[in-house]
Amino acid sequence: MAKNSEPKQIKVVARAPFKLYFEGPALSLSARNAIGKFDVLPGHADFFSMIEPGEVYIEPVEGDPVSFQVANGIVTVRGDEVMLFANM
Amino acid sequence: MRRASLIEKDAESIGTLKDLTNVFESLASTQVAKMKGKVLESQDFFGLLWERYTSLRIDPKRRLTNREGVGNNGRNAIILISAEAGLSGDLDARVIETMQSENDLSKTDIVVLGSHGASQLTQRGLKYSRFFKLPESDDFIDVSPVIKAVLPYERIRVYYEEYVSLGSQIVKSIDLVSRIADMSDKYEAGTMTDYDTIFEPSLEEIAEQMEETMMRIALSQTILQSALAQAASRFNAMTMAEDRAGELLGEYRREFHRAKRSESDRRLREVLVGIKKKRRDSAAAGA
Repeated sequence: MAKNSEPKQIKVVARAPFKLYFEGPALSLSARNAIGKFDVLPGHADFFSMIEPGEVYIEPVEGDPVSFQVANGIVTVRGDEVMLFANM
Repeated sequence: MRRASLIEKDAESIGTLKDLTNVFESLASTQVAKMKGKVLESQDFFGLLWERYTSLRIDPKRRLTNREGVGNNGRNAIILISAEAGLSGDLDARVIETMQSENDLSKTDIVVLGSHGASQLTQRGLKYSRFFKLPESDDFIDVSPVIKAVLPYERIRVYYEEYVSLGSQIVKSIDLVSRIADMSDKYEAGTMTDYDTIFEPSLEEIAEQMEETMMRIALSQTILQSALAQAASRFNAMTMAEDRAGELLGEYRREFHRAKRSESDRRLREVLVGIKKKRRDSAAAGA
C-alpha cells in the first residue's frame, strides 16, 4: 500500500479514552481488522478501519517497540497522520 | 432537663458522626478531582473521534439514525442515569422529576442505570422496563447492553446530571439519535469518501458500526458527566452534614454545661437544705 513518494515516518497517536499508549513519530503500526492483519507504513494511502480485538504493535523511530491489547477500536490514516482510538 | 452524662454520650456520637462526614467529604472531594480529570481526558478523546467520524460521508438513507422500521408501537425510550448508591443529595430525585414533567410516561419505556434511581422510581410508583448497574470501572465503560436495549426505539432520550461547579449541578437531557445525526451534519471540511480513502470493511459497513459506536460514546460521556455531578453533590451533602453536625455538637455542649451547672446547683441546694435541717434539728434538741 506504500506510495513511492517521500515520507520516511508516520505521526502516530494511539489512545483510549483515559490512556495514551503512544504519541510520536513511528516507522510502522500493525493491527488486525475484519479482513486480517494489516500494517501502516510511511506513505500509506488514506485509510479508515475498524479494529478487531487483538494486539496493536507500533515501531517507533526511536526507542523500543510498543505493543498493547485492544478490545475494539478505529484506525484512521490521513496523509502521514495515524490516529488509533482504542477500547471505546 | 436531661442528665449531663446522657448528653455527653450523645455529644460523643455526634462528634463521631462529624468526623465521619468529614472523612466522606474528603473522599468526595478526591472523587470530584479524579472524575474531573477523567471527564476532561475523555472529552479530548471524544472530540478527536467526533472529528474523524463526522468526516465520513454516509448516505443519509443508510444511517442508523434515519433507520426505517424502528419503534416499539410508537413508544419512546428514556435512559435515566442515576447513582449506584445514595448519599448524593437530591440529584437523582430532581432528574426523575424533570423526566416526569417533560414526558408522557404512558408512551415511554424507561431504562434505568444505577440502583439508586431504580429504587427512587419504585418509591414513586413509576415502572421501568430495564435496569442496568452502573459500570464499576470508570476506565472502560461498556454500555453495549444498554444501547442494544434502546436501539429498537425511534426516540431515545437520556436524562442525566451535569457538573457546572462544585456548588451547582444541573439536570440535563439529550436526544441520543439526533445528537449523532447533528454531529454528522455539521462537519464540512476534510471529508473522507471511498474515492480517496480505503475503508476496511466497506464504507457502508463502517457507517453502520460507527453510528452505534458513537451512540455508545455519547452515552458513556453522559455517564461520566453524571458521575462527576454526583461526586460534587455528595461533597455538598457531606459538607452540609458536617456543618449541621458541628452546630449540633455546639448545642449539645451548651446543653451539657447547663445540665452540669444545674446538677451542681441541685447538689448544693441539697447540701444547704441538709445543713439547715441539721441546724434546725440540733436547735430543737438544745431547746
